[in-house]
Amino acid sequence: MRRHLTLLRAYFAQYVKVRLAYRGDFLIGLATSMLATAFGFGFLLILFSKIPRLAGWRLEEAVFLYGFGLIPFGIFNVVSLNIYEFGNTYIIEGKFDRVLLRPISSLFQVLFEVFRIESLHEVLIGVLAVWWASRRLGIEWSVGTLMLSVLFVLCGAVIYVSIFTLLSCVSFWFEDRVGVHPPVYNLIAFGRYPLSIYSQLIQFLLSWIIPFAFASFYPSARLLGRPEMRNLWLLAPVMAAACLAVMLFTWNRGLRQYSSTGS
Amino acid sequence: MAEAPLIAVRDLSKDFRTFRRREGVWGGIQNLFVREYLTVKAVDHITFDIDRGEMVGYIGPNGAGKSTTIKMLTGILVPSSGTIQVGGYVPWRDRTTYVKTIGVVFGQRTQLWWDIAVMESFRLLQKIYGVSQRDFDERMALFGDILGINKYLHTPVRKLSLGERMRCDLAAALLHNPPLLFLDEPTIGLDVVAKDHIRQFLRSVNQRFRTTVLLTTHDLDDIEALCKRIVIIDRGRLLYDGPLDLLKQKLLRTRQVKFVLRDAAAGARLRAIGTGGLAIDEVDELTFRIRFDRTKVSTGDLMREILGAVEVRDLVIEDEPIEEVVKRIYAGEALREVTL
Repeated sequence: MRRHLTLLRAYFAQYVKVRLAYRGDFLIGLATSMLATAFGFGFLLILFSKIPRLAGWRLEEAVFLYGFGLIPFGIFNVVSLNIYEFGNTYIIEGKFDRVLLRPISSLFQVLFEVFRIESLHEVLIGVLAVWWASRRLGIEWSVGTLMLSVLFVLCGAVIYVSIFTLLSCVSFWFEDRVGVHPPVYNLIAFGRYPLSIYSQLIQFLLSWIIPFAFASFYPSARLLGRPEMRNLWLLAPVMAAACLAVMLFTWNRGLRQYSSTGS
Repeated sequence: MAEAPLIAVRDLSKDFRTFRRREGVWGGIQNLFVREYLTVKAVDHITFDIDRGEMVGYIGPNGAGKSTTIKMLTGILVPSSGTIQVGGYVPWRDRTTYVKTIGVVFGQRTQLWWDIAVMESFRLLQKIYGVSQRDFDERMALFGDILGINKYLHTPVRKLSLGERMRCDLAAALLHNPPLLFLDEPTIGLDVVAKDHIRQFLRSVNQRFRTTVLLTTHDLDDIEALCKRIVIIDRGRLLYDGPLDLLKQKLLRTRQVKFVLRDAAAGARLRAIGTGGLAIDEVDELTFRIRFDRTKVSTGDLMREILGAVEVRDLVIEDEPIEEVVKRIYAGEALREVTL
């Protein structure tokens, strides 16, 4: 574990060096990424200028939910770049060979060889939004709730990473360029609004099929003390562990399936 | 009792399942739904051992299954059937611990990070393999000496020439001082000087650390310079496994004499000699080449006969190049002559 943390630091430092060598590219990436976040909050403000409450949620509560959801989402975005590239660069172009020749977990290498550093701003803005909303709503942050929210963030990030990596595992079996990620990625946005505004079907989907609600909605509802679906937040660590387990199992099966390239 | 072999390969096979891709847009749509699968046997029931300290050449034509074998030996691919044991490890199963004991160089693609300076790649590898600072410095000094890589340690990998990159890749593969080294076409695309440099380096590593080396190559000079033993495979099957010398002795029967005559008129007399199973090629009107089986015809007698018949200005006697032998093996002609 400590070895992996040291290596994570080394990989990150390495990548930052490369990335900053192409500064223009980095700045443009940061600007577009921030624009996307601004649109998200902009939409909330417009929405709440028309209606006072959304399924019984005030603006501040909605901002809290949106902001709190951004934190695990930002962490996920920082490490997810290679998950989307996995089928293409690692499997089809055979870059995975090199990964398998190193004495570290293959998944570790794929996740941490490239970072989308600019997504760290999402974490920062998420924290700011939660802080602002908490002050307006008069939420007290004890050490206990702070630790609980750190746990929620970790669970959320694990859920996102596991689900998208699971989708990438498809490439082990079908060496095609299949675009399964974008539609699922778009589902993440659903978890940023109160779950109760959706139909039963969508609620079920986001809770039990692709459990993004456990990465943002249920934890936020708990931290806000909302009455909806009171105790489901307890399952967040369970869902995270389950997603991780299914993903790791599939990944390891996929490794056996890997057939490399011709030469 | 002899030491147990370092590498033990038993009845190893690898099948690939591919499907026939139809062409065109409509074909592409059909591909999504209906697929005809084909099974290709890339490696077909191969068995061999390699001892510690050996340098073995693994050769075969394109698509013979060389790379697939190397990929199974290095833990990248999982065999379809059969077993591999290397130093007590099963490569694919014990991958993360096993790969610490091997070094791998693929001539076709680099193992280094493309965008960062060579030295930074080495430092990252040092952390990945947990090489102590003392060992690291010692080995870098050694590589600087015999590979001459000091000059471009601070250049990004993408800016290196192929020869420079290959030297760096070799150094990277040996940074953790593995007892076993796999090289997949290490001299591909290199010029003569760079090839020679790399061969010398490999020989010295083998002598100094008793590093076991298995290399695949298309350049038989690599084999002649480095390996006493060769393993030949084609279409996934093992064709020959034994000493290079034995192969040469058994198969290098044909010898050729090339000579230049003083005047063209002598050509007719020369052709008259060509009766006793001798193949005479006319290169141009003054230059002739005679090929003969050295087990049947004495070189001395033949020379006397030719020199007695015609006036020769210049002559060269040479053995058939090893390439020719290998070509014949690939073509399936020479197989019967070798006892496996």
